[in-house]
Amino acid sequence: MLHLSFTRWSQAVLLIVALLLPLGMGPYWIHVGAIAWYYALLAASWALLAGYAGQFSFAHVAFAALGGYASALCAGQLGFSLPVAIITAILLAAVIGALIGALVLRLSGPYLALFTLAISEIFRLMLVAEEDVTRGMLGLPVPGLFTGKSDIPYYYLGLALVVLALVAMNGLLATRVGLFLRAIREDEGAARASGVDTTRYKILVFVVTSVIAAIAGIYYGHFIGILTPNIAILPEMGLVIAMAVIGGIESLPGAVIGAVVVFLLSETLRSYGEWRFVLMGLALILVQRFAQNGLFPVLESLGRRRQERRAAIPSVGGPSNG
Amino acid sequence: MADGGTMFFSVNGLSKHFGGIHAVENLSFTLERGEILGLIGPNGSGKTTTINMVTGALRPTGGTIVVEGSDMAHSPAHLFARRGVARTFQVPRLFRRMTVLENLIVPALSDYAERRSTAEERARGVLQFLKLGHLANQYARALSGGQQKLLELGRALMLKPRLLLLDEPFAGVHPRLLEEIIDHIKSLNRDGHTIVLVDHNLEAIQSVVTRVMVMARGQKIADGNVAEVLQNPDVVRAYTGTRTSH
Repeated sequence: MLHLSFTRWSQAVLLIVALLLPLGMGPYWIHVGAIAWYYALLAASWALLAGYAGQFSFAHVAFAALGGYASALCAGQLGFSLPVAIITAILLAAVIGALIGALVLRLSGPYLALFTLAISEIFRLMLVAEEDVTRGMLGLPVPGLFTGKSDIPYYYLGLALVVLALVAMNGLLATRVGLFLRAIREDEGAARASGVDTTRYKILVFVVTSVIAAIAGIYYGHFIGILTPNIAILPEMGLVIAMAVIGGIESLPGAVIGAVVVFLLSETLRSYGEWRFVLMGLALILVQRFAQNGLFPVLESLGRRRQERRAAIPSVGGPSNG
Repeated sequence: MADGGTMFFSVNGLSKHFGGIHAVENLSFTLERGEILGLIGPNGSGKTTTINMVTGALRPTGGTIVVEGSDMAHSPAHLFARRGVARTFQVPRLFRRMTVLENLIVPALSDYAERRSTAEERARGVLQFLKLGHLANQYARALSGGQQKLLELGRALMLKPRLLLLDEPFAGVHPRLLEEIIDHIKSLNRDGHTIVLVDHNLEAIQSVVTRVMVMARGQKIADGNVAEVLQNPDVVRAYTGTRTSH
């Protein structure tokens, strides 16, 4: 029998559920699910940056905005074909991520957080102010990726992007870079004394996560069809952080699950108006108090213990015949 | 420039100023290959600032740090580590939420030529040497204070060091473990490692080193044979708190 760890087993089940969900859902919930994948991409990549590498950036939603706007402007005003527009936007995010990374990642802790917050706000205000280019708060129209009115292709595209991002990020973490990032998170000075070029790896992880955030923004823009500077407002960044923290800041699948659960909950509680954000805040406080590493690691640990208990019980009736 | 003999590390006119405070002033010394030097001095004498500068953690205000012929005074810490200048810290700075084995693999893999399997094999060897083999899969934060000091020594050894700078390796260590650490240091020196040992425990230092350098208020006040240096009036004055003649 195929023996999977609880983590792998639960991820496989969740992936199958995610694949089958559109079959039993109406258009509204498919739309909600497709937006949830946008947040899942942001939360998981932010978890890599903050949870694994210990770099608390508030510029993550600004990179989503950068990707979305760049792709929309390249496809609209510059007349690029959609694939070229998307690739240009991704490359732009990588270059700007490297430049900002080189600029800010010599800072640490609260200085890094404040610097990236300032950069994010500057970028958002530029989007508001440059009406001739971005149409400001009126919103920039973005061409769709698929013909037809169904959101199902976007739902599966979003899911595929999340899976690909998780595979890529887990691949990175499995190399020596993953070990270095955790060492940097634990003690940057000690990592340097151990021969690790900390600046290089901090810039690398900043670029990787900025590119994933930009891809999330590109996906979102082409799906929704219009972009406003509100995509990069501070409460959006707060929401992404809450999703990652509730799901598990040191667990990439945990952050994805956190994003989906928080977003679906927020939609379910829509009738409560602003009170739903109060409930979210309360949930965040409770998770921080009772499960500092987030809910997914707690479930993982419970599942693992259950699996170990089962393995410890001697089988009755001798070996199975098959 | 190295003199072509056994000298491979030299510090010339090294200074570090923090605003108006001269933490280290015009410090010069050389180390010969395989030598073991004790660096002592009262609190605030500039010992740790010196260690921080000669490992790249602090950029000097002036002076040179020559490692095998290259001036590395303005090189970052990771380049010192790659050149085999390894250190430990006064208070162990481990990767606390990583396992003991992972703590050792990080410095090994900072050399891109080293494969993970080789690094792991070497790490297990170092753990055997330090008698920490049974703790390989424990989180570093779960170790006792003395075990943390040993692990930090192991992490430095994984860099295949040419020069080991040990900042207060005996501080706060259980007497039984203290002997073990002394034995390890002697054994490493016998194997040809050049070592600089900073500590307040004069008894322990005397049992290990033959040469000692004394600092007071950022300056070198004595350097030479242990017995002679400890009789030096300037050294006695520095330790009893009286102002030196400088």
